[in-house]
Amino acid sequence: MDLIVLLPNGFKKMGWVLIGLRIFLWSIHLFFDWEPEWLVVNYFTVFNSQFFSDTTWFEFSKQNMLYTILTIFPIVGGLFVGFSKEKIEDEFINKLRLSSLLWAVLINYLLLLLVSLTIFGAAFFNVLTIHMFSVLIIFITRFNFLLWKNRKEMTHE
Amino acid sequence: MNNSIKMHRAQKGVTQQVLAEVIGVSRQSIVAIEQGKYVPSTVLALKMARYFETQIEKLFELEVDE
Repeated sequence: MDLIVLLPNGFKKMGWVLIGLRIFLWSIHLFFDWEPEWLVVNYFTVFNSQFFSDTTWFEFSKQNMLYTILTIFPIVGGLFVGFSKEKIEDEFINKLRLSSLLWAVLINYLLLLLVSLTIFGAAFFNVLTIHMFSVLIIFITRFNFLLWKNRKEMTHE
Repeated sequence: MNNSIKMHRAQKGVTQQVLAEVIGVSRQSIVAIEQGKYVPSTVLALKMARYFETQIEKLFELEVDE
């Protein structure tokens, strides 16, 4: 059976570090209003639309990269964690991984459907922000739960 | 799908860990196969049959309603 193409096992640790860093940065941003000036850079944007200003295309503009970091770290970290090989990667682990991914996509969109029908106004945009990461979160949680469950079922010989 | 991996393993006197190492899978996979939670691919089933020096039909058999 052909196994799916995955990153080497070492990427998993890097992924957890990125996720940890994101949680740390987001926490200090949230609780201490941390928004460092040194992260404001002149950045090339394809499309830029700010409140009370014109919409621009393909222009350099001053951007605080904190928000980009807070978006990129969990996505890259989540992809590293979810798509790195286990120490022993075989067809059974592959099956658990793929079924977890299928499960995550389904649950994710069912939740979005539910949220779309019940949450309105500005709160809905907060939900959409969470939705950027939720499929990865559900996938990683489900996959690791199945791995843990299978390990638990192993009897000592 | 029923299988007699556990019985063949006991006859040969090998642990799940040893079997897993010989055929190149995790011990979790052997546990799942023995418990009937996972049906292995043809390649893996053939590797097991080769290791136990038996025919694949002796290791795996379909249930009546399958």
